[in-house]
Amino acid sequence: MLRIENLYKEFGNIKAVNNISFEVKRGQVFGLLGPNGAGKSTAISMISTLIEPTKGDIFFEGKSILKDSKPIRQRLGVVPQDIALYPTLTGYENLSFWGSVNGLKGQELKNRILEVSDIIGLNGRLNDRVDKYSGGMKRRLNIGAALLHKPELLIMDEPTVGIDPQSRNHILDTVLELNKQGMTIIYTSHYMEEVEYLCNELCIMDEGNIIASGTQQELVDLVKEKTQINLKLDKNDEEVINHLMEIKGVYEAKINENVINLFGSSTDVLLADIIAKVTENGWMIETIDVKKPNLESVFLHLTGKALRD
Amino acid sequence: MLSVIKLRLLRLRDEWMIFVFMTAMALGFTAIFGASFTTYKPTVYIVDEDKSYYSQALISELNTYKDFKFKEADIKAAEKDIEEGNVSMGLLIKEGFQRNVEEGLSISLGIMKIKDDTVILTLQEIVSGITMKMAGANRIADVTAAFIQSAKPDSDFEKIRSSSYDNVMDSWKYKNPIFVKATVAESGIQAGYDGLMHSMIGFTLFFSMYTMVFGIGTILYDKQHKTWERMLISPVSRTGILGGSMIVAYITGAVQMGVLILSGKYLIGIDWGNSMAGVLLVSAAFIFAVTSLGLMMTGFIKTQAQLGSIAPIVLTSTSMLGGCMWPLEIVNNKALLLLAELTPQKWAMQGIESIASSGMGFEAAILPSMVLTVMGITFFTIGAFSLNKQSI
Ligand SMILES: Nc1ncnc2c1ncn2[C@@H]1O[C@H](COP(=O)(O)OP(=O)(O)OP(=O)(O)O)[C@@H](O)[C@H]1O
Ligand SMILES: [Mg+2]
Repeated sequence: MLRIENLYKEFGNIKAVNNISFEVKRGQVFGLLGPNGAGKSTAISMISTLIEPTKGDIFFEGKSILKDSKPIRQRLGVVPQDIALYPTLTGYENLSFWGSVNGLKGQELKNRILEVSDIIGLNGRLNDRVDKYSGGMKRRLNIGAALLHKPELLIMDEPTVGIDPQSRNHILDTVLELNKQGMTIIYTSHYMEEVEYLCNELCIMDEGNIIASGTQQELVDLVKEKTQINLKLDKNDEEVINHLMEIKGVYEAKINENVINLFGSSTDVLLADIIAKVTENGWMIETIDVKKPNLESVFLHLTGKALRD
Repeated sequence: MLSVIKLRLLRLRDEWMIFVFMTAMALGFTAIFGASFTTYKPTVYIVDEDKSYYSQALISELNTYKDFKFKEADIKAAEKDIEEGNVSMGLLIKEGFQRNVEEGLSISLGIMKIKDDTVILTLQEIVSGITMKMAGANRIADVTAAFIQSAKPDSDFEKIRSSSYDNVMDSWKYKNPIFVKATVAESGIQAGYDGLMHSMIGFTLFFSMYTMVFGIGTILYDKQHKTWERMLISPVSRTGILGGSMIVAYITGAVQMGVLILSGKYLIGIDWGNSMAGVLLVSAAFIFAVTSLGLMMTGFIKTQAQLGSIAPIVLTSTSMLGGCMWPLEIVNNKALLLLAELTPQKWAMQGIESIASSGMGFEAAILPSMVLTVMGITFFTIGAFSLNKQSI
């Protein structure tokens, strides 16, 4: 449905987007994961024809949007990262305006406003001015404004920034529901859990580059040897470490503030061996926890830094 | 485009205050300044080199004309002030004035000035009226005294002459010769300085400009609230967005000027002259020029707050230059007059004033409207271009 080819965007000296390519298929929830300044919003601005790429091309249904932006504009919904609403107008007036710029009018517009306000859970507050809304309500209205014309492709740029967990869950479930109804969605976030929860396929971006892409499983497989087991014993010294290193599959062990960090490749086998080793030596386990590899560890592995500070 | 127009109209709900405020300001200022400009008096220096009975009589006679402020000065001071443009003219009473009046010779007076205008004509006619009156009274006094002396040879010629002169001059005080009055009425202060009218036009233009500039400045509000970008990526074309915004700003400006023109007529009693169509044509072109000026300013700045601090500077300075605050007739500096040509206000003032106060017809509106339209197109093009160029 959407194909990005060797896209570049420079702002003066800043290479905001530095040669990215990916493809989004109809019916997907496609994730774009990356820390602040990764270039996610810049990529979205180019896809939504707000800014022109320095180099590269974008194809919507096989046709370049740089040559003709009309087809994508009519079938695209964008939820911008910053709330883009008129604070002094009511929720209804906002929806009505954004519906009408997207070509809706008359009874159809009215019906859609009611349907959308149901989806975003705001129908009780439509006649209040937006500046009287809570942060979460504004976020939801910001999303609603992109849904009125039933876009085939919906791009959401960090739609859950700065809101309470309840609103956030509502939004995530809304995304899944919309996708179930057939909407293709590009979801941008720097929350690993959101992308894990929503997306079939994703790209991880950092400093303008795509550093990994594929399905979640494919990405996690990149770091499957990175299982981390944190162990707290009544005794921790070099001798313990040496013993633990004898276990097959453990390739690193170190002491970090009285906690032993073990790194190995397969949790289930490892865990049994570790417990066996501990009892064999007569030590006592105080706590033990296992960290399975996830997208966070993928990012850490690929960039050497955490996704968020 | 229709959706953008509807939005802009809805948003006026937040901005009607400025509209009302600007209307009130324009009317208030007209009331205050209009009254004071009506009593605006050009200052005239009088240099009396004759220092005689007749020259003093001329001066005291002049002082009865309340349309001017007369001040005696020596030749040096007068020349300096006139050259520097502090005072627009001076009257030089040359030596021998008394003798000339007495002997009925042609009277030598000089007028010092930098440039011609209607005010000087008026002064000339007043002065020639008075001197003619004086010469006439002299003749009468001569004839009277001669006649009385021939009848009564022992009477004092000089005494009779001077008392009959005073009598004649005295009698004029209550009944001036018709022609003097007529010149004052025809070509005098009325035409050059209709203070109330000038203020009304000036302040109408000045204050309604704010409505127009802030009206189109709503684009900056959109930029701040990110709705601008959201609009740009919608299927509505840029032309539609700009066009819709311009149309509503234009309509608001037009309503503002309309309200002011009507208030001027019905509240203050302004007569807008014989060609309402002309006044409206100039206004229409002016609104376009200023709305486009607003668009251009919007293209170069980022926030409404910046517009709020820049607009008053731009609008006030160009309004002063363009003659909204005071008549350009009192400006002598060539550079300032040249700059005035570049302001929309100057052309709008000229167009409306020549219809409303100089009694000209529709034809007076044509040139100013054309100039204003060209200005508008230029501003609009620059504004639209720079808005389009900005990446976000
Ligand atoms: N209009 C612009 N002018 C100059 N630099 C820009 C502009 N827009 C973005 N950048 C720069 O491009 C880089 C990428 O920014 P972008 O907003 O795309 O990141 P992001 O991934 O969306 O980050 P975040 O998670 O914080 O939203 C940043 O270094 C940013 O400073
Ligand atoms: Mg962003």
